[in-house]
Amino acid sequence: MGHILRHRTGVSACVAAFIAIAAIGGATGLVQADARAVTGTATVGAPADGEWTMPAGDDSATRYSPLAQIDVADAPRLRPVWSFSTGVLGGHEGQPLVVGDTMYVVTPWPNVLYAFDLSRPGYPLKWKFRPNVSRAAIGAACCDVVNRGAVYAGGKIIYNLLDGHTVAVDAATGRPVWETKIASVADGQTVTMAPLVVGDRVIVGASGGEFGVYGWIKGLDLATGRVMWTGHNLGPDAGMLIRPGQFHPPYVSGTELGMRSWAHGSWRHGGAPVWGWISYDPGTDLLYYGTGNAGPYDAEQRAGDDRWTSSVLARRPENGALVWAYQFTPHDSWDYDATGAMILANLTIGGRRVPALVHFDKNGFAYTLDRVTGRVLVAKPFTHVTWAKSVDLATGRPVVDPAMQTGDSKGDVKGICPSLEGGVSPASPPAYSPRTNLFYTSTNNFCMDYAVHRVTYIKGTPYIGVSSPYTAGPGGYLGAFIAWDATTGRVVWKDEEPYPSWSGALVTAGNVAFYGTLDGWFKAVDARNGKLLYRFKVGSGGVGAPMAFRGPDGRHYVAIYAGIGGDWALLAGDTSSADPTDLRAPNPLVKNLASRTSQGGMVWIFGL
Amino acid sequence: MPAQRTQSRRSSAARWAAPALLLVLAVAGSQGATPLRAPVIAAPGVANPAHIAAGGRPPPGPVVRNPYRGEPAVARAGATLFVSMHCSDCHADAGAGAVGPNLGDGRWRYGATDAAVFRSIYFGRPRGMPAFGGVLGAQGVWVLVTYLRTLPPPPDRPTERFTRH
Repeated sequence: MGHILRHRTGVSACVAAFIAIAAIGGATGLVQADARAVTGTATVGAPADGEWTMPAGDDSATRYSPLAQIDVADAPRLRPVWSFSTGVLGGHEGQPLVVGDTMYVVTPWPNVLYAFDLSRPGYPLKWKFRPNVSRAAIGAACCDVVNRGAVYAGGKIIYNLLDGHTVAVDAATGRPVWETKIASVADGQTVTMAPLVVGDRVIVGASGGEFGVYGWIKGLDLATGRVMWTGHNLGPDAGMLIRPGQFHPPYVSGTELGMRSWAHGSWRHGGAPVWGWISYDPGTDLLYYGTGNAGPYDAEQRAGDDRWTSSVLARRPENGALVWAYQFTPHDSWDYDATGAMILANLTIGGRRVPALVHFDKNGFAYTLDRVTGRVLVAKPFTHVTWAKSVDLATGRPVVDPAMQTGDSKGDVKGICPSLEGGVSPASPPAYSPRTNLFYTSTNNFCMDYAVHRVTYIKGTPYIGVSSPYTAGPGGYLGAFIAWDATTGRVVWKDEEPYPSWSGALVTAGNVAFYGTLDGWFKAVDARNGKLLYRFKVGSGGVGAPMAFRGPDGRHYVAIYAGIGGDWALLAGDTSSADPTDLRAPNPLVKNLASRTSQGGMVWIFGL
Repeated sequence: MPAQRTQSRRSSAARWAAPALLLVLAVAGSQGATPLRAPVIAAPGVANPAHIAAGGRPPPGPVVRNPYRGEPAVARAGATLFVSMHCSDCHADAGAGAVGPNLGDGRWRYGATDAAVFRSIYFGRPRGMPAFGGVLGAQGVWVLVTYLRTLPPPPDRPTERFTRH
């Protein structure tokens, strides 16, 4: 894909030139607008350093901002400069985009897209786009009606609707350009993930690991929205887009692995949904993404490794061809989705420079892989783990504690850590700073008991069958924000939180890391040691991801959503006051959470 | 919950509709309950008492009764059906609420009568509640309604207290 590489380089150079002019000339709104016009001609490219045009800020999913105006010394002087109620109560996951002088915000269902004019006082709306999204999708979404954000490319804002559509909207006018049906709500598929654009492909996937889906990822044509390829994550090789001689998983070989690792044809409703994040490396020309849990939750109904659920897959963006895959949790028996971000960084391990992929899994291990081959280089727990002792680097397999194996013949298995909410939620994407060489992530510290029963597939209804109450992990805290050294697999520092930590992370060239807490604090900490520099109560719990941008005034800002939800819409139903006919008891794990926060979606911007 | 597992194994051995029917028949046979009457279909025209009637005149419509109301054996069968038909996967164990609303709080989004609850399950609701009438039939739906009406509302419903007393 050399042409993509050349294109990208050319665009980056143009943008860099404009940024240089902006810096010299004093960064007027006019110059910024010109910079945006140049970016607008790119199909994809490294964004100008003051913009945030894709979900994680860049293709590598680093959530690193090169802006340094807000540094460790200045961060204590942060203040909220603007806020806006989205009028929507669902969990506000994901992050805004900033392209030129416009901020774009996608809400949870009903998936409104707002465009704010950052060049005018009070950031008034330029327009809002209100798609007609089916209400039926609400009940087919396992875990609240969230949306993890949009991507900008080719003059379009592209994002997914909960009811199974991808839509492209003209970034300037708000008029729809194309809309494509990608998923079927009647089959239990909803769409919550954030798409990525690679070249002229829009990469999308669907949720539904709790509804017995036959999981897939698709590549759409950027210009028209047409589905160019569909690659399943399990099942027959042909459906997985495995071409003879081109698929090289690092630890196994053979054909039809996605069928032969499932008893009784159970792959047909085996799950492996795509509900998280996509990353891309132009050097390997591979896109990387994680797959979700296996279904149903009773692993004895699907004996075998159940490939490729709970895995990372590497594909060619142009045609979807599968190049390698690695399974973090074979024979998933704990609902350990691997849909968390795959962060691409070049690290020095044992004196050797390695093209790495770093992933914090729900199963409590953080993995450092070679992103060319998929081999595991480092795998260590980042939170309290009991289900497995370690990961065997020779085989790539976890060393599972037999007492922690679940199944309908196993009864109620107690004391499994982490819980099925994950050592970190895949909804909480980490960040990586090339300045500190550290990774930053929210984590959870709670465990579960797990009793499954056999279930029958009934189309249009859940395919789960578990009772899994949660208990606190050791140490007297339920969550933490940590810094992680992925070259050795150790926690460098840890900021403990009274509640599970569910927001994404941001780190900047100013060595400041940002996150939000479930009880509604927006926090800035020193990326080198975790020291709290600033905090502000944003009004509702944080489950979104902070992002940074340079405004048309040349100043550096950080934006984050407030709006508790996602799994917490289910787990802490008493944080909702919206329905007088639906009263929930407090969750024993977080029984005072509703005394700290309540639902409500808002966008907040902080600055100096 | 061994009872749930026993029933679930049976349901996996057959198609989804079979266990529901078997269950209802088993209840009727073994418990000496009132023999099952012909299926009672709730017509779409059933008045919802939660709706405001223009002119104070509710529209006329058929009267729909729960044929099993208050029968404990049917309610127990409904508790099993609540798991095997995946109701608990959305509404949580004992209907405490998760993706779908709490069904045990004594409050009902679409009306508090047995007929209104029947309609929700039989025909579905637009926010994603599936229509189960096609797979369960009217009898199976009434078994579920009978179970749901036995869930005891928790004490102190309107006030959640956070300070210790």
